[in-house]
Amino acid sequence: MRAGTSKSRSGILAVAVTAIGILFLFAVERQESKITSESALGSPRLVSIEELPDLGDICVSQPTTRSSSMIAALQDNNLFSAFQEKRVYASSQEGGQTGDVTRLPVRTIRDTYPIYSSVAVDPLRDEVVLQDTNLFGIKVFNRLENTPSDAEAAKPKRVIQGPKTLNEYNNGLYIDPTTGNIHSVAMDTADSMIVFPGGANGDVAPIRKLNTPHRNFATAANEEKGEIYITIQYPPKVMVYRKDANGNDKPIRVLEGEHTKLYDTHGIVLDVKKNLMFVGTWGNASDYKVAGTGKFYPPSINVYPLDASGDTPPLRVIQGSKTQLDWAGGMSLDPDNGNLYVANDVGNSILVFHGTDQGNVAPARIIKGNKSGLSHPAGISVDTKNKEVWVSNMGNSSATCYSLTANGNAAPSRTIRSAPLGRTSVKFGKPQAVAYDSKREQYLVPN
Amino acid sequence: MNTPQIAVFARLAKENTVPVRALEGQRTMISRTMHSLAYDSVHDEIVVNSPLAQAILMFRGDANGEEPPLRVIQGPRTQIQGTDYDGNDKMAFDDVHGEIIIPVAGNKVLVFSRDANGDVEPIRVLSGPDTQIRGSVRGHPLVGVDPINNLLIVGSTGGQGGGRDEGEGGRGGGRGRGALVIFDRTANGNAKPKAVIQGPHTALGGVATIQTYPPKGWIIAGSAGGSIGAWSIHDSGDAPPRWRIPVQQITGVAPSGVALDPVHKELIIASGGRNVLLTFYWPEIFD
Repeated sequence: MRAGTSKSRSGILAVAVTAIGILFLFAVERQESKITSESALGSPRLVSIEELPDLGDICVSQPTTRSSSMIAALQDNNLFSAFQEKRVYASSQEGGQTGDVTRLPVRTIRDTYPIYSSVAVDPLRDEVVLQDTNLFGIKVFNRLENTPSDAEAAKPKRVIQGPKTLNEYNNGLYIDPTTGNIHSVAMDTADSMIVFPGGANGDVAPIRKLNTPHRNFATAANEEKGEIYITIQYPPKVMVYRKDANGNDKPIRVLEGEHTKLYDTHGIVLDVKKNLMFVGTWGNASDYKVAGTGKFYPPSINVYPLDASGDTPPLRVIQGSKTQLDWAGGMSLDPDNGNLYVANDVGNSILVFHGTDQGNVAPARIIKGNKSGLSHPAGISVDTKNKEVWVSNMGNSSATCYSLTANGNAAPSRTIRSAPLGRTSVKFGKPQAVAYDSKREQYLVPN
Repeated sequence: MNTPQIAVFARLAKENTVPVRALEGQRTMISRTMHSLAYDSVHDEIVVNSPLAQAILMFRGDANGEEPPLRVIQGPRTQIQGTDYDGNDKMAFDDVHGEIIIPVAGNKVLVFSRDANGDVEPIRVLSGPDTQIRGSVRGHPLVGVDPINNLLIVGSTGGQGGGRDEGEGGRGGGRGRGALVIFDRTANGNAKPKAVIQGPHTALGGVATIQTYPPKGWIIAGSAGGSIGAWSIHDSGDAPPRWRIPVQQITGVAPSGVALDPVHKELIIASGGRNVLLTFYWPEIFD
């Protein structure tokens, strides 16, 4: 029997199959729940049980994109997918036809809450801007927002999200202090920096889109010179463009080469007063043009002249076990004293270094502990006007705010929370592959 | 990605289900761009590329947190070479013979023993004009292995087969113009393939991994239009897939990686484009 030839029969049998299926599902549920007592269904008569595909959730949250909308619709309809037992038969090579299998997925794993990768403060509007790298949106909150513990989630003032925005895996973030323009750097599929006007809202197109190399991470700007910096993870480099660069505009200069010690480049921050550029690295190194050149180095923060280009070595390097660097993400700087604030993702901490540090040095201060609210802090932004530092937490859909002088197991002064209290994020970030652990019946999913 | 990880989910996990554990952190040596990985069911290990550091890492099967790998293959003798766009992001694992198969730049496929550690030479190198292996300029061919029927399957994406260097928009390569090049599993040097599945009706392309189901002789690979197709190991020439799941048409998301769960007769799909995992019931290929 070929696909599509039994539609009328399926329709006639639907009611009967559904009734039998529901009874069967009750039986399976009872089995999995280890209910041993007799129920309203009567005494047990099943002699064997074959596992049915899981039906997934029936209720889902409001979808935010076309794709997620379709997936949500599938969840709603999944009850019926379990009964699509109609077999599809393979074609022969000689037959030249393909049997289409159109069953709906039986299960879906995704995170319906934001995953905040970066944070910045808009001093003009007194707002906190957060990059949601899961739902591909930019969420804007009042700076004084402090989500009560009994609230499910904070309500943003504005959300820039939708197909017109071109947001995809948005990470690096810079807010123009004079206009409030939002510069958003895509770290994967979009290969670009897009710019939204301050106050942008909804599904709006960016006012500029600069095409960049693949694997962007962070961005920073030198307002005095009108230049914007973008780090590229691999092949590692720092691109410097005119701040108003657009389309296929070329960079003004590029820092790259074996002497730069840029190995898997991440965060960047500028000290314009001292003419310095700080760049974080994770230590994953290789020259893609030469086989067998792969190496692992310890993570580091490299310090370069602000206008470094070409194969310029760092002036100094902060590196070593005392630094506690562990997949450090965003960096921010207090221009008043040159202190360097580092979002130390897997270390679950905020590290504060002196801007003059070098070598294997311990941070001057560390915010870390169970009161801190930190959970995979990936983005960070110093608010010099209000003497605060903001952190975006990928691990719990929140942003937490601290005094600039906070230290130790400090509780945040305010928290913006976009998921129920205590919820842990799935922390998906472009899960491109999957493997099945047959021993434990588990999925292995790399970002 | 912003934070790489290998997250581990229970098979029956659903929307917003938290991973049971995650491998992450500096000591793990993992990096972004892990576009394939494998579970070694014989030795209970996880095998994965470290794509930015020209390395292969092997972890305990239940590795958790910031756990270092058991073994690392890396160094000049390995010949491992990535590309600027993909790094070295793809691999396949033969758990019957204990071999790691990794495509590299220059249209080569390297094979290492799973016991290898450090700067070691591959035990086989498949490369040369007679192989018909074509990676694109910026990305690698794909690989799959059928350890029972003793076949190595290479998904050629470059040259005539398509790929990023041919204006494909940098997403997945192929797009219906690739080829499945089938070799003896132990093919070495400039070996000729046993068969090549290629042509306008094959509709190959779009997914970064190739899986096999040896008991029935199926090759599971990407198909045009965001689909997953099943070809027979006995197919050759311009063969359309015997079956196809039009994933993008059904769900709105394009597949990027696949895995098989034969016990539950399920196909697991990762969608890197939309942060989603989907599981399809597909008994036809297992029965």
